[in-house]
Amino acid sequence: MPLLETRGITVRFGGNTAVNDVSLTVEEGQITGLIGPNGAGKTTLFNTITGLQKPTSGRVLLDGADITRLSPAKRARRGMARTFQRLELFLSLSVRDNVRVAGDVLKATGRRRRFDLDEETDRVLERTGLTDIAHKDVSDVPIGRARVVEVARALMTSPRVLLLDEPASGQTERETEAFAELLVGLAAEGLAICLVEHDLPLVMRLCSTIHVLDYGSLIASGTPQEVKESPEVIAAYIGTEEAA
Amino acid sequence: MTTFLTYTLLGLVLGAVYFIAASGLVLTYNTSGIFNFAHGAQAMLGTFLFWQLKYDWGWPTLAALLVVIGLVGPLLGAALHALIMRGLRDTADVTKIIVTVAVLLGMVYLSQWIWNPDEARTVEMFFGADAKVTLLGVVVRYHEIVCLVAAAAIAIGLRVLFTRSRIGVVMRGSVDDPDLLRLNGHDPERAAMLSWALGSTLAVTAGVLIVPVGGGALEANMLTLLVIDAFAAAMFGRLRSIPRTFAGAMVLGLAATYVMGYLPASGPVTGNLRVSLPMIVLFVVLVVLPQDRLRGAAIRTRERYRVPTVRSAAVWGLVLVAVVYLYSLLLEDSGITTLTLGMTFAIIALSLTVLTGYAGELNLAPLSFGAVATIVAFHFGVSGSGLSAYLTPQGVLAGVAAAALVGGLIALPALRLRGLYLALATMAFGVFLSNMVLRDTTEHELFGVKFTLFPNGTLAVPPPKLGPLDLRDGQTFLMTATVLFALLGVALAALRNSGYGRRLAAMKDSPAATAMLGQDLVRLKLSVFMISAGIAGLGGVLMSAAAGSVSGENFTIMGSLALLMLVVVAGIGYISGALLGGLMSGVGATVLVGTFNDLALEHEAMSSIYSALAHLVMVGTALVGMGVGRNPSGFVHDIVESYRHTTKPVRYGGAAVGAVLYVLALTDVIGVWTFAIAVLCGVMLLPVIGRMLQEEGRRRTTPLELIGVDEPYTDQLRARLDRELGLPALPVTAEKGGARATA
Repeated sequence: MPLLETRGITVRFGGNTAVNDVSLTVEEGQITGLIGPNGAGKTTLFNTITGLQKPTSGRVLLDGADITRLSPAKRARRGMARTFQRLELFLSLSVRDNVRVAGDVLKATGRRRRFDLDEETDRVLERTGLTDIAHKDVSDVPIGRARVVEVARALMTSPRVLLLDEPASGQTERETEAFAELLVGLAAEGLAICLVEHDLPLVMRLCSTIHVLDYGSLIASGTPQEVKESPEVIAAYIGTEEAA
Repeated sequence: MTTFLTYTLLGLVLGAVYFIAASGLVLTYNTSGIFNFAHGAQAMLGTFLFWQLKYDWGWPTLAALLVVIGLVGPLLGAALHALIMRGLRDTADVTKIIVTVAVLLGMVYLSQWIWNPDEARTVEMFFGADAKVTLLGVVVRYHEIVCLVAAAAIAIGLRVLFTRSRIGVVMRGSVDDPDLLRLNGHDPERAAMLSWALGSTLAVTAGVLIVPVGGGALEANMLTLLVIDAFAAAMFGRLRSIPRTFAGAMVLGLAATYVMGYLPASGPVTGNLRVSLPMIVLFVVLVVLPQDRLRGAAIRTRERYRVPTVRSAAVWGLVLVAVVYLYSLLLEDSGITTLTLGMTFAIIALSLTVLTGYAGELNLAPLSFGAVATIVAFHFGVSGSGLSAYLTPQGVLAGVAAAALVGGLIALPALRLRGLYLALATMAFGVFLSNMVLRDTTEHELFGVKFTLFPNGTLAVPPPKLGPLDLRDGQTFLMTATVLFALLGVALAALRNSGYGRRLAAMKDSPAATAMLGQDLVRLKLSVFMISAGIAGLGGVLMSAAAGSVSGENFTIMGSLALLMLVVVAGIGYISGALLGGLMSGVGATVLVGTFNDLALEHEAMSSIYSALAHLVMVGTALVGMGVGRNPSGFVHDIVESYRHTTKPVRYGGAAVGAVLYVLALTDVIGVWTFAIAVLCGVMLLPVIGRMLQEEGRRRTTPLELIGVDEPYTDQLRARLDRELGLPALPVTAEKGGARATA
């Protein structure tokens, strides 16, 4: 059974259909890619999965349970975590406190009471390679690393499924390399990762399954090789043959 | 049947005027993103001007109308936009609200200056009250027809403007994405200015129309609070839709007249209920409204606050207690009482620091929670009688608990929605409390217990007593209040540095991201609002005890708004901001205005100048509040920042000067107020002096080129440039001329 599943998700804004009947799965211990041109509906789909956007129709299932009507906070407590394409960092807190506050919420909501918050924070910072900037104001951090801060904050909630919205954009090549390594390591520990990313080589390298969205509809799903050879995908990315 | 029709007609007329007011509010909110709390105040100013022209100067009605609605209304709106509102992009919602609140206060103070509020004024119906027709047995006055026709015309006009016209579409787009509009060749600022001009005109129109409908008496506060009726109506359309606002206004108007007509007229309840109806409707709508979509911090705001450690808060708390003690030695009894009042205001201000500074939510009626606590403490906490009466600690605690509880109840319906709705709900609550509770001098019976909420319109609150600590003595009270403030300050610093404080900061910065960590936002907001209301309650009880006797006048919404504004001006993210804001609110205005009024009494020839100065002080504070948009972090922030760069000798020097001044004041060489003002100026100027001294030491000479002197570029300079850039030196001497030629 897949850990996360959407069934026939449709989101309409007035007359615009942003997401059209999308069904996909995200498996434990794997990195699942979600790609598509700008405006394909990737972020809207993420918002629907995390509860920030109500779907017009369709259902979201986490571990077999229907969570379509749950609030974002309740979904988070069931093990869902995400990062944002437009950064949503806590600007009045330091890098370290941005990560630590996730642990504060864990303690306050009683999900994990007995753990050393400082130690855990340091561990996550170490693992994500943020130790050297831990005490900086988060507004002073360059965007590539600020995205890693968002990932670290999400990891601090000890999630089961992690949704990453363009985490590598703005990163240098070396940062991307370290980041890819981190994701592979996390997946190996059993975390389900769903990755929206425009860096296609990175997606092809990391993901075991890739879903392709275009104009709100799923036009292909499969292994990187299958997706690469799908004529629909080629058309969506390069344009139709006639146009080319 | 005729009675019913008459009430229905009156209701529709009232609704029509509410709609005109509400439509202006919706218009400016949707085109500039600023919810204009000064909307009613604009109506008030316009109506007073109309009165001035028509009744005082005897202008013909049409000329007065043309000037007020055709000229002053639009100009007022355009000026507001150009001078104040356009500077508010990229500020937090809190700042936007505070600035309009400051505009509201400024307009009220200004009107009190020009038009003495103790004189009675009336504005009559257009065409007079006798110009009427009779339809189906119902008397319809011409004025009422004017109201209905105006409302219908405005409704249709706005609809056409927004959906059909190019400028209307630009207006709608200007709040969502001004940059995109600019790229498309539109000017969002022009659209915003137009909408402010239009909104202001609508406000003024509503004001001129509503006064005769409401009986004709022209009263500044009532008109200013028209904004509450307006937003209650606008709430039906979620502050967005003009047609639904129209429906909401009609519901509100009809409900108001039916309540007047059909509920038993005996007792004060009906009359007060009529005034409080918008608030009741508001809460019903709040409960019914669907939950807002969670949004992230779409804009990067400019507000920044530094967080103190618990240790530094404790040190500064001790410094404060010492300073206040030393200062109290200089003061006479009346001065001590005034300072005590200021300190209790500072405690109320702390409630705003935790709520707004830490959590980013707003309470526009902090004094009302003080009133709730005072009433409870008065009824359950007074022991003994006469001069030996005192307030028990249990009574104070009961008051604090009641304030927190009422706070929770008030906030709960608004918490699912954006911060603006909480601000609206608290303001409505403040007005409701003033109208319903603080005027309630009749005896009630509940569960067999007879009680009077506000006997004789005032409450005599005795000083608190806790074991051996008796606050009857003025100085003891002052020091207790100061110590309490310091303790609360340390507690708040500890709170801000705790996990709870980090969660508050996270929620303030990005509600969406905080929810995605698993945080239930409603619960967090509710808890912090209750903490804040409790603190306001504590401060309120102490304030009442320090004042000795309080009436509804001590807890007005205008007082609350002034306090909030001053705290924001000082710096709402800082404990010291609460101290300064509270002191300014509790002491500053009282002392300054009092001094000027005393002077006016003493020197009769100069009285008009002195009373003008007193008014100027009030308007001046509001002007400072309007400036918050330019400096949203508050002036405490600037002072703290400037002290970072001063060196130790400068600080010690400043302290030494302060000590000398203190000794001079203690030995009566200089007056107490001279001392206070000198010290205040010193604190502000010290960093500036320090910087000047430092720059004296390492002044850099400006390069000659920059001041316009052209220095010829010599070979020596070229060689130096080569050396500094690490280029190989050119063979100088003999070949120099040749190298030049080839180059």
